[in-house]
Amino acid sequence: MFQVERAYKFILYSSLIIYIVSLIWGLLFTQEDFVQGNSYRIIYLHVPASFLSQSLYISMAVASFVYIVWRVKLAAYLVISIAPIGALTTFIALTSGSIWGIPTWGTWWQWDARITSTLILFIMYLGLISLHSSFSNYEKADKLLSWLAIVGAINIPIIKKSVDWWSTLHQSASITLTDKPSIDPSMLYPLIGSMIGFFGIIISLVIISSKYQIFLREKNKSWIKEYV
Amino acid sequence: MKYLRLEVLKLRKKTRSWLGPILVFWLIMLAYPLTIEVSPKNLEIGFFSVLWIAILLSMMFATEDIFTEDYNDGYLEQSLISETSFSYLVGLRVLIHWLLIGIPISLLGFVFSLGTTENLSLSLLILPFAMMSSYIFLNLFVLGNSLSLNKGSVLGAIITLPMALPVLIVLGKSITAIQLEINYSGFIFLLLGSLSIIIVTIPIVVSFIIKAHLE
Repeated sequence: MFQVERAYKFILYSSLIIYIVSLIWGLLFTQEDFVQGNSYRIIYLHVPASFLSQSLYISMAVASFVYIVWRVKLAAYLVISIAPIGALTTFIALTSGSIWGIPTWGTWWQWDARITSTLILFIMYLGLISLHSSFSNYEKADKLLSWLAIVGAINIPIIKKSVDWWSTLHQSASITLTDKPSIDPSMLYPLIGSMIGFFGIIISLVIISSKYQIFLREKNKSWIKEYV
Repeated sequence: MKYLRLEVLKLRKKTRSWLGPILVFWLIMLAYPLTIEVSPKNLEIGFFSVLWIAILLSMMFATEDIFTEDYNDGYLEQSLISETSFSYLVGLRVLIHWLLIGIPISLLGFVFSLGTTENLSLSLLILPFAMMSSYIFLNLFVLGNSLSLNKGSVLGAIITLPMALPVLIVLGKSITAIQLEINYSGFIFLLLGSLSIIIVTIPIVVSFIIKAHLE
C-alpha cells in the first residue's frame, strides 16, 4: 500500500508536469492552423478527454466482466471508482467540443452522431452512478452495475465509428493506428505529450478514487485500522 | 405453450398494465394536434417525431411493473428453480407484452399516420418501423426495470433511455429517407439486426440480473 502511495504521487506529479509543458508548447509555440486559426489549440484538452472518456468506459466494462466471471472484489471497486472520473472526462470532452464548435462550425451544439453518442455516454456514466448509489447492499449494487456497464459498452463502437457510419459535422480521426497521422508534426508532438500527461492525471485520479472505495468497503477489516 | 398461455392470462387479467400504455399512446397522439395551429402542413412537420416518442413512452409504461408483482409474491424465485430456462421465460414475457401492447400501438400509429399524412404507402412503411422499434424499446425498458427491480421504474427508465436514443436517431433518419424517396432499406436492416441481437441477449442478461436480485 505504501508503494502504491508513492507510485501514484509520482505518476500524478510527473503527468502534471508533462501535461503543462505540452499545453504551453501547443498553445504558445506551434503554428496557427491554415483553416481554423487559433481555435484548433483546444485539441490539447479535447482530444485527450474524448479519448479517455471512451477508454475509461472500456476499462470499466472489462473490470465488470472480471467481476461477473471471477468475482474479484477489487474489480467491482474499480468499476465504481472509474464511473465519476469517466463522467468528468466525458463532460470535459463535450464542453471543450462545444467551445471549439462555436468558431469552427458556427454552432455550439449539433445533433450529429458523434456528439449525440458522446452525450449518451455521459448520461450512461450518470446512470451507472445513480444505479449504484440507489442500493445499500454493496454486493448487489456491484453486480447490477457490472451488468449495466457490460451492456452499455455497445455505445463505444458506435461512438468510435459514428464519423464513418454517418455523415457528421465532426471530423474523422487524425491519428489512427494504421495510417500516417494527417496532422502536422509540429502540432502532433505536443498533442501526444498532452495525451500522455492527461492519461497519467486520470490514472492517478482513478487510483485515489479506488483507494477511497477500498477504505469505504473494507473499513471494518483489521488491516485498514493498522494502515490508518 | 403452458407458459405462453399463463403469461397471456396474467397480462390480460391486469387490464391497467396492457390498456394503460395503449391509452397513453392514444392520448399523446390526440394531444399533439392541440399544441399547434391545425393545418395539414403544420401537423405533418413534427408528426413522426411525436409518434416515435409516444411509442417510446408507451413502452416505458408497459414495462413499469413487469417483474415487481412476481418479485414480491415469490413467483420469480419459483420460476428460477423451475426446469424451464429462466431467460426463455423472460423472452416469452417480453413477447407477450409486445403482442398485446406493441402490436396494437403500431397499428394505431399506422392509423394516425394515415389520418395525418393521407399517404397510404408512407403509412404502410411506418408499420414495420413502429413494430420493430416498439419491440426494441420494450426489451431495453425490461432491462432497466430488472436493474431497478425494487427501486421504482424511474431509475430503470433513466439508465436505459440513453440506449434507446440511437434507435430514435435511426427512426428519424429513416423517415427522412422515405420522404426524400431515397433507399431506406439499410435502416430496416439496421433495426432488424439490432432487434435480432437484442431479442437473444436481453433475456439472458435480464435473467442474470434477476438472479443477482434474488441471491
